[in-house]
Amino acid sequence: MALLLRVIARPGVCLARPQYSVIYRHVAPMGTTAKEEMNKFWAKNAKLNRPMSPHLAIYQWSVPMMMSVTFRGTGVGLSGAISAFALLALALPGQYPYYLDLIHSLSVGPFLIGLAKFGLSFPLSFHTFNGVRHLWWDIGKGFRIPEVYRTGYTVIGLSVITSLALCLL
Amino acid sequence: MAAIVRLSSVCRRGVRPLLYQSTLLSRPLVVPHKYQEQPHLLTARIHASQALYAGAGSKAASMHWTAERALSILLLAMGPVAYFSPGPVIDYSLAAALTLHGHWGLGQVLTDYVHGDAKIKAANAGLFLLSTVTFAGLCYFNYNDVGICKAIALLWSK
Repeated sequence: MALLLRVIARPGVCLARPQYSVIYRHVAPMGTTAKEEMNKFWAKNAKLNRPMSPHLAIYQWSVPMMMSVTFRGTGVGLSGAISAFALLALALPGQYPYYLDLIHSLSVGPFLIGLAKFGLSFPLSFHTFNGVRHLWWDIGKGFRIPEVYRTGYTVIGLSVITSLALCLL
Repeated sequence: MAAIVRLSSVCRRGVRPLLYQSTLLSRPLVVPHKYQEQPHLLTARIHASQALYAGAGSKAASMHWTAERALSILLLAMGPVAYFSPGPVIDYSLAAALTLHGHWGLGQVLTDYVHGDAKIKAANAGLFLLSTVTFAGLCYFNYNDVGICKAIALLWSK
């Protein structure tokens, strides 16, 4: 299937830059894999106790960068929430409706309930829509910078609208 | 005055499959364009390169990548199904798909941030344990309690 995706994605790519070419006829075999090289890099630098160059602290933050971080954050968060739910299901003695009634009996008020619903639905919406954006990239589309920003803002807009709609349900 | 090639513009496979090919990797020789005769044939050769080196590495990473995307699409489709026809079949399917999607996703996070053979092994073992318990818990919930779809419906009804 990867081959099929590559065949579909190919027409727009290879014809792009006719002035550059690569010859595979004359090749030099490498002694190590990229994974081995990576491990060597980390082992050497950790052993020499080298400090890491500043990266997050100095690089100018951009919308795509923040969206990528948020995508990962929502993914980890949602996964953690699912795992927590599963663990509680195994550990706690009662049934789900009992605990739901327990939470309802706290009578927090509609605004806080709406806020909680938004807090649950926004990560899910954002992760879903940005996930679709990632799949779009995976078939080779939308890599130009203006497209990255356009699809990015679309994802943000859709996420907010969807989460608002969901918490008003 | 050698021409610099942006690897991404000619090699559509992406970086990850390259990381897992073991022995027979090669560095391509880059030459100025005017010294080359048939660029269209070269393009064909580059895209055949995975088949050329097929014997030299496993396709496991590439297949894993594809499986991750296929599962994501499947999970996307499960959303509307869960909404319009809730029930035990979709409950258990969601449990499996969500757990696996999370497992693979967290696996990528670990691959990015955990370095060193022993730490990688320990982290992956821990992740496997977490995913197993998560799946067990979700199945237990589906069996002994109201089930995922009903739980979400009940949660949202307030």
